[in-house]
Amino acid sequence: MKRRTFLQLGGMTAAGALLAGCQAENEKLIPFLIPPDEGVTPGRAVYYASACRACPAGCGILVRVAEGRAKKIEGNPLHPVNRGKLCARGQALVQELYHPDRIRQPLKRSGPRGTGTFTPITWDEGLSLLAGRLKALQRDRESDRLALLTPPLQGAMAELAAGFLRAFGSPQHGTFELLAPDWLRTAQRQCFGAATLPWYDVAETRYLLSFGADFVEAHLSPVHYGHAFGRMRQHRDTVRGHFTYVGGRMSLTGASADRWLPARPGSEGTLALGLARLLLDAEWHDAAALAAHGLQRDEMLRHLAGYDLDRVAEETGLPAAAIAEVAREFASTRPSLAMVGEAVAFQSNGPEAVRAILLLNLLAGNLDRPGGVYPAGGGPGPEQTFSELFPLIAKMRDGGIKVALIQGNPVHAIPPATGFQAALAGVPFIVSCATLLDDTALEADLILPDHAALESWGEVIPQAGGRAGVVGLMQPVVTPVCDSRPFPDLLLATAQELGGKVAAAMPYPSYLELLKAVTRRRLDPAGGSDFAPVWANLLRQGGDFPPLGDSVPDYRWRSDAAFPAPARARFAGAEQEFPLHLQVYPASAFYDGRGAPFPWLQQLPDPMTTVVWDSWVEINPATAAGLGIGHGDLVEVTSPQGALRLPAVLYPGIRPDLVAIPLGQGQRGGGRYAQGRGGNPLTLLAATVAGVAPQPAWHATRVRLTRVSAQGELVTAGHPQGSYRSDLLGI
Amino acid sequence: MGKLTSPYRWGMVIDLDRCTGCGACVVACQAENNVALCDKQQIGEGRGMHWLRIERFWVGTYPDVRVRFLPVLCQHCHDAPCEPVCPVYASYHNPDGLNGQVYNRCVGTRYCGNNCPYAVRVFNFYQHEWPPPLADQLSPDITVRSRGVMEKCSFCIQRIRRAKEEATGEGRLVRDGEVQPACAQTCPAEALVFGNLADPHSRVARLARSPRRFQLLEQLGTHPSVYYLKGGGREHV
Amino acid sequence: MSDIPVTAKSAGQLNGELLSSLRPPSRRWYLLVLLLGAVVAWGLFAFAWQLTHGMYVTGKNRPVMWGFYITGFVFWVGLSHSGTMVSAILRLSQANWRRPILRAAEAMTVFCIAVAGLFPLIHLGRNWTFFYMMPYPNQRGLWPNFRSPLLWDMTAITAYIIGSSLFLYLGLLPDLALARDRASGWRQRVYGVLAMGWRGSAHEWSVYRKASILMAALIIPVAISVHSIVAWDFAVTVVPGWHSTIFPPYFVIGAILSGVAAVITLMIVIRKAFQLEDYLTPLHFDNMGKLLLVISLLWTYAYFVEVQTTWYAHEPIEWEVFSFMAGTYTVPLLLMLIGNALLPIVTMCFQRLRRSIAVMLVVSLLVNVGMFIERFLIIVPSLAHKNMPFVWGSYAPSWVEISVNLAAVAGFTLLFTLFAKFFPIVAVTDVRELEVLQAEVPLGRAKLPAIVGEE
Ligand code: SF4
Ligand code: SF4
Ligand code: SF4
Ligand code: SF4
Ligand code: SF4
Repeated sequence: MKRRTFLQLGGMTAAGALLAGCQAENEKLIPFLIPPDEGVTPGRAVYYASACRACPAGCGILVRVAEGRAKKIEGNPLHPVNRGKLCARGQALVQELYHPDRIRQPLKRSGPRGTGTFTPITWDEGLSLLAGRLKALQRDRESDRLALLTPPLQGAMAELAAGFLRAFGSPQHGTFELLAPDWLRTAQRQCFGAATLPWYDVAETRYLLSFGADFVEAHLSPVHYGHAFGRMRQHRDTVRGHFTYVGGRMSLTGASADRWLPARPGSEGTLALGLARLLLDAEWHDAAALAAHGLQRDEMLRHLAGYDLDRVAEETGLPAAAIAEVAREFASTRPSLAMVGEAVAFQSNGPEAVRAILLLNLLAGNLDRPGGVYPAGGGPGPEQTFSELFPLIAKMRDGGIKVALIQGNPVHAIPPATGFQAALAGVPFIVSCATLLDDTALEADLILPDHAALESWGEVIPQAGGRAGVVGLMQPVVTPVCDSRPFPDLLLATAQELGGKVAAAMPYPSYLELLKAVTRRRLDPAGGSDFAPVWANLLRQGGDFPPLGDSVPDYRWRSDAAFPAPARARFAGAEQEFPLHLQVYPASAFYDGRGAPFPWLQQLPDPMTTVVWDSWVEINPATAAGLGIGHGDLVEVTSPQGALRLPAVLYPGIRPDLVAIPLGQGQRGGGRYAQGRGGNPLTLLAATVAGVAPQPAWHATRVRLTRVSAQGELVTAGHPQGSYRSDLLGI
Repeated sequence: MGKLTSPYRWGMVIDLDRCTGCGACVVACQAENNVALCDKQQIGEGRGMHWLRIERFWVGTYPDVRVRFLPVLCQHCHDAPCEPVCPVYASYHNPDGLNGQVYNRCVGTRYCGNNCPYAVRVFNFYQHEWPPPLADQLSPDITVRSRGVMEKCSFCIQRIRRAKEEATGEGRLVRDGEVQPACAQTCPAEALVFGNLADPHSRVARLARSPRRFQLLEQLGTHPSVYYLKGGGREHV
Repeated sequence: MSDIPVTAKSAGQLNGELLSSLRPPSRRWYLLVLLLGAVVAWGLFAFAWQLTHGMYVTGKNRPVMWGFYITGFVFWVGLSHSGTMVSAILRLSQANWRRPILRAAEAMTVFCIAVAGLFPLIHLGRNWTFFYMMPYPNQRGLWPNFRSPLLWDMTAITAYIIGSSLFLYLGLLPDLALARDRASGWRQRVYGVLAMGWRGSAHEWSVYRKASILMAALIIPVAISVHSIVAWDFAVTVVPGWHSTIFPPYFVIGAILSGVAAVITLMIVIRKAFQLEDYLTPLHFDNMGKLLLVISLLWTYAYFVEVQTTWYAHEPIEWEVFSFMAGTYTVPLLLMLIGNALLPIVTMCFQRLRRSIAVMLVVSLLVNVGMFIERFLIIVPSLAHKNMPFVWGSYAPSWVEISVNLAAVAGFTLLFTLFAKFFPIVAVTDVRELEVLQAEVPLGRAKLPAIVGEE
């Protein structure tokens, strides 16, 4: 009877439902009614080692491949940079491979530039188009009018690109990277004589003092330092490392700090020198270290005469007591270490402030010791990629560039105030090697699609995060999904098309052969032994991870190094008109924008704001209240350079005179998930600050806010009120 | 709890002092478990599908403001409120102490979702799609859930199963650290530690005895398999 | 107190008047049925829309996984209550004024519970697998989980549907025979089958009377258990605001309150539709009004107890739920308090108002508006502000849910309209029985003992 009753009640339901219920797909068949712990394991998977190039950290990855498809990316436990760990961006690499909007074959522009109308062509056509243009340059003796634009290249790839340009006869190789640590190399060179990147022994330190170094989300090597941070906190039995964060915006990294010092933007160098003076005054400094570096306390105190506590407190806007306490803690909790990051470096006085912080490490005796800083952490690298951009832009603007061959997405990632985008528009022939129709590809005349990372051979040399010469190897883990070609092989093929001395200069049948040759040269300079097993082993473990050497280069403060003297920070935009400082920062999921095309990352709530699928402007609640702005309202951010409409996020962890906008969104292209989403704060930035040499000063622009409407269309994963009610959970 | 006969009692320790809130675990879980893509509208409607979330709390006001991160996943309660209310045993307890979910049994009453105090159960309000070729990434080990069913963190049961099969083949028990769910595996700060709580020498069991230990909503008597370790505090300096 | 003025009419006249529902349908009746049918069809369309698209077409989300459907479910289960309860209680206590409304009340119960039973099925994420919940040996090797309150619900509701249908049918039996005797054609055959050869012999009557009393006595515990079980859907959970021991009695009282109000509304409608002013007099409304007053007072007490204990204990998350409810749903909350407490208590104290049909109509309708809101406010705010503040949320019903709920109202009315057209909606034999009673006891000025105990 019960059954019948229910049949009666449900009959109507069932009739309609049968239609919908019949849509079974095979994926759903296997576990039909079977609990997952009694389920079927359909076949075994294989793992391939490769490397992540989604940011310059260069972590090692293992790709789980089943059914001939890449299924899951895991960290490579053998890799010394990331030790089996990965960040969110690394996990999402697989979405580059299988992105539904990947460029499937070469495309030729068929409509006006920037409209995204392209006609599919074959590789033969594409290559001959490119080669035709290049041959025309050679014919007209204008070989120097080819410009190559790529991210900073390393190893075999750098060799290949340089060889190609040399043989072709062009000196134009732009390698701009928005967040590149050139500034740190420069400061290291000025202080210690070599343009290396430091390695911080965060795991063993007892007191970490970060001046705007956001090592959890982007700085140098997030996974490496994220791992070290965890160890610093809870790995040692009796020691829990303390963490103080300095910066006007509490970043994701800052959120983990025990103490937050919201120093006024541009005053961080002053704070460092103020701390230095407190250390020296109280003789808390490491006298032996000072002597070893040839520095005198009295001499230094003379330089520091202007940095008394009152002035420092006044300039930084911090309580004097807190500064004094931090100085005492930093000096007395050994080993300690100070890090400096982009929030400081990209101020107008960044270079000097960075040096002041390096000096602070020296004073406390933190150099070259466990739990401290090893100045020679990573090999030397480029220093001037930003200033070198300007002559290239000028040349483009003046018609000096006829063909631009671009890998990467500079149209989105270079602040328009540099004039790059406008100048590029004047280049007659633009070739883009992209995997998606990104902002740069949209401007291109010819698109020769690149392989995705998981389809490519390559070499990834981590920029930081270790002390020895780690080289990660990328290998294809699946057969290519699209009719694409790896960028280096494109260069080789082009050289072959060009023939003559260009072809002769590049005798490699493929990039893989070059890569092998370069690797062999590096590992086995004598060239005696059998390389095949060595190579196989490299592929299996994901690269060459030599053990830490005993000899650490001896770094000494240069006797001719000027004493750091950060000037008062300068800002673009008058204070009356633009009352707020602007900080742009890499969104933890998007980095400089290269994570934005991937839905997993769009969908990942931003850790600090919990916003999804959007960008936003962070405002201190008091400031917002003063301007009548509520959470989620649409506001217009205006700078001397431009204006941007974004939803407002009330952010208790930011100075009232500062607003912040994440980088990465605001792309015109980049596939269905990225395009037309949020805004690109780079459009607000002044390229350079008056009276300051060309250097990236991305935090030196002032803005004002105007409320537009209540329709910000902000979506946060966290409930706006519930996010303040941790008391209900007792955490 | 006494009636368990399995040599395993899987559990996790989440060290809030280590967790930086980076979100790597969230994406790892999504990648491992065929967790659906959700657009902005769906998340705005409260219909996001993440099995693991990082709760972020603001405490205090500027400048004395702090942030607390709290990774929340299914707590695999030993007295799971989600289990008895399910009319069809789709939410069930397995011998290893896991709260399992059989998607094809679930009729979609969402009762378990209401009764889970941790709000970790997510319901397929939509028929989620993976535009080709994104679907090529889907793991063959885990079903793709259709609309109308409930899902949630499984402690990556497919990985546990693989490890157990391997161990059984070699005639031994699963070794400590041999099986890692995707989230714990990727966590840069090693804030997440997974293992067998029934083995008192396992790393997770040792950590679970820490004086910093607490459990979420302990007062409800759900007896979670997840232990948290308190974070923060200047008292340690 | 005088009772129904039955003595003035002959048996034939009475039968004719009371069986007026059997007269051929008018154009207005067809119009009404058409209109109701259209609303039901719209609701079916909305449901089909949900079936083919997915639960996202409702307003539900995480954390509010239950919404208007379960509100509707609890509401209709509540409504179903009094029908049978009122009828059974009054039957047992031999309150004679009950007689003309018995049938309507009992039919109401059956249709309400049928409508209520549909909601949990509509509400399923995979409606097409509803049979997974049924206990029968099957190839899936799956037995439903009787630890789940949903199974208790299913059992209780099934029992209640069966019981209340039997109750209705039993009461209908002599009237069916009457109708059989007066009808012709196919109707006669149908009534004939349904009347199961009722002849009206003394033996039949004596068995019938015993059966009625027995049924009435049995149905009361079933009715109480049904709504207690529905309350357990909530009370046995760990959801703040749901997990409360007062819920079962509170739900039962609420159910009776809404049921009594619905019976009053029905009485007014039937009285008007079938011109039964002579049988449903202000006296009946006076009595029902008193009942409403008592129940409303009880309800108010229960509500007060629930809020007061929460307030006094001030357990943070529970109090959070209450504050959220009061803050976000202030208007519905006030409407509920007015409709369920203030209005009935104030008005039903006055005999003049109790005997005013217009006042009774307004009050009874508002009580049920209030009861619907009460169900909503029990379900939604608790879910919206559960234990984990980071995933608090909110809920607003979608057009689909609203349509289905409207279609439920229309569907119920339609069933009732059809029933009233094809079956005697006023219990003829019960009324006639009274007449017989009066004839047997020659008292002249009628003072009926049966209602002395009642008043
Ligand atoms: S830190 Fe950079 S290199 Fe490492 S996994 Fe993340 S994106 Fe890849
Ligand atoms: S990956 Fe680890 S550190 Fe990052 S949010 Fe998850 S638990 Fe926290
Ligand atoms: S956390 Fe929720 S879903 Fe997981 S076992 Fe506990 S009650 Fe069930
Ligand atoms: S939604 Fe599914 S798992 Fe949850 S109680 Fe209902 S049938 Fe069980
Ligand atoms: S244990 Fe597995 S399923 Fe659970 S949250 Fe972690 S990755 Fe996701």
